[in-house]
Amino acid sequence: MIAMDDLRKQFTTGRGRQARTVVAVDGMTLHAQDGAITGLLGPNGAGKTTSLRMLVGLVTPDSGTIRVDGVDLRDDPQGVRARLGVLSDARGLYPRLTARENIVYHGRLHGVADDVAQSRCEHLARLLEMEALLDRRTDGFSQGERMKTALARALVHDPDNIVLDEPTNGLDVVATRALREALRVLRDETGKCIVFSTHIMQEVERLCDRVVVVAHGRHVADGTVASLCAQAGSDDFEDAFVRLAFGPQGQPR
Amino acid sequence: MRMSQSVWVVFVKELKDALRDRRTLMAVFISSVLMGPLMLVLLSSLVGRYEKRAEAREVVVIGLDNAPALRNYIERQTFVVKKAPADWETQLKASKLGDPVVIVPADFEDDLAHGRPPRIELVYSSANARAQSGVGAIAQLLQGFDQEQASLRLIARGVAPSALNVTRIDEHDIADNAARAAQMTHIVPLFVLMSVLYGALNAALDTTAGERERGSLEPLLATPASRGALVIGKWGAVFALGLLIAVLSCLSFLPAQSLLRSESLAALFRFGWVEAAWFIGLLAPLAALVAALMMAVAIRCKTVKEAQANMVALTMVFTLTPLVGLFTQEGEAAWNLWVPSVAQTTLMDRVLKNAPIGLLDVAPSLLLCIVLTAAALMFVTRQLAKRAAQ
Repeated sequence: MIAMDDLRKQFTTGRGRQARTVVAVDGMTLHAQDGAITGLLGPNGAGKTTSLRMLVGLVTPDSGTIRVDGVDLRDDPQGVRARLGVLSDARGLYPRLTARENIVYHGRLHGVADDVAQSRCEHLARLLEMEALLDRRTDGFSQGERMKTALARALVHDPDNIVLDEPTNGLDVVATRALREALRVLRDETGKCIVFSTHIMQEVERLCDRVVVVAHGRHVADGTVASLCAQAGSDDFEDAFVRLAFGPQGQPR
Repeated sequence: MRMSQSVWVVFVKELKDALRDRRTLMAVFISSVLMGPLMLVLLSSLVGRYEKRAEAREVVVIGLDNAPALRNYIERQTFVVKKAPADWETQLKASKLGDPVVIVPADFEDDLAHGRPPRIELVYSSANARAQSGVGAIAQLLQGFDQEQASLRLIARGVAPSALNVTRIDEHDIADNAARAAQMTHIVPLFVLMSVLYGALNAALDTTAGERERGSLEPLLATPASRGALVIGKWGAVFALGLLIAVLSCLSFLPAQSLLRSESLAALFRFGWVEAAWFIGLLAPLAALVAALMMAVAIRCKTVKEAQANMVALTMVFTLTPLVGLFTQEGEAAWNLWVPSVAQTTLMDRVLKNAPIGLLDVAPSLLLCIVLTAAALMFVTRQLAKRAAQ
């Protein structure tokens, strides 16, 4: 379970007179349960990526708390990272290593023994339909192949909590459907807590059990797709999202 | 997971990754490992040519038919007389003629017989290094003739020739063979030092700026491995590669010696297993520092290209500072042993000269390398998370 409460973060860019403060996250709250896929939905620049970076400990929040399975990030950052499988927007691979070596390397850094990491790698390759890729160097992989490898790398240590930052970016329809199916399996068969950040409505409608809507760094609404539609007074989820995120006139709230 | 395990996992991965970069490795191998011995061979061939000329005892003369006495003297000194080509002046200027030219005037014998000093010209070009190197020997030959003639005149007048020698000069060269050879082989420590830099360079860039550029640093930092373990593992691999190329570079001088064309240089330049071990031992702390400093510079850069540009200054500092001593010609100064890279080249020079090296000579640079390496690694650790999120 992932709990982020009232997170705030602002960045200062430039120096002296040129200094400018940008509020990236301004009161973000997100509670993601086990055995459910929670969507983090917001327009570009809403603070989704910064929030997820705070969750991993790459960015330190100015205020607010982060807990993963009850472990506070401030008290035990390594313990929190060990409980998370993160597919961030930066999903670079090592081009001279094979897909298997890329995946097992991360498994080893998560403290998984080599033989266990190898068998997890095989299992994930079957789940993500990438067995043929395993022993190829990742140099020259397509977007979809890269994403599958990066996802397997994030899951190799079998984490209870999975965080995916816009995972379908650059994927074609077939790869997107395969990813969606893999996430359903992870939720239904292993009861994982999955947080799925995106700005694409259809993905949220088709996949998420609960949705947290964010805009301008703030949490503006949360609930199921149906309840959010009801809250916004619209049958169409896209209309409901625009009203919730930007107000009735489509202006930022 | 224990820190040591994480360090080992990162170290093995980075080493494997770097060793698979065959093209880069080959370029480093050629520039670092083969260049040194190649330079040594070229240098020895140059020295060999000079030696051959000295042994040849040849003198290029114009108008020697006008001076039978001089010809007689030259031939008695076992010099071979060669006639200058018609365009000798042009050839001398263009460095095509490798000997100075002696011009004997037409009235040489007549002037000599009447007690007028005949004017012999010794023509060379200071821009023609080959010809200039022979000037001393020819000038000495002509002075010998001068002295013989003067002595004969003094004897004819009943004066002992020793009356002309007020003092006697005895020359003593106190350099031993190894020290004499070190004059020629100053370049060897510099080449070996450069091999450390080139060996470490690509791995240092790839493990820092490269990670940032391809977006693999953020996922790496999302693992529970401590930042310190990641940095030490990466540094270990960069250090190992720098040292590996340095070891190969040092060892490449062992077979290269058999290719030395100059016999005297081959006899003087002693680079055996002991010298190679000294070199490697002296270079190890420097390789550690170079690896850490390169990573510290590169981690601040978003791309490998940007890091490469920044690296130029660092490599220049390391390669140019040892040249200060070479240019100033002041010999060893006390500060030499305190400045990394200068200290290593100074001590490697001593190894080649067969001069003693004590613990106190090695200690300053060793201490400084350890302290600076630790400081640079702490800096990289601090920067790692900060830069990943940018």
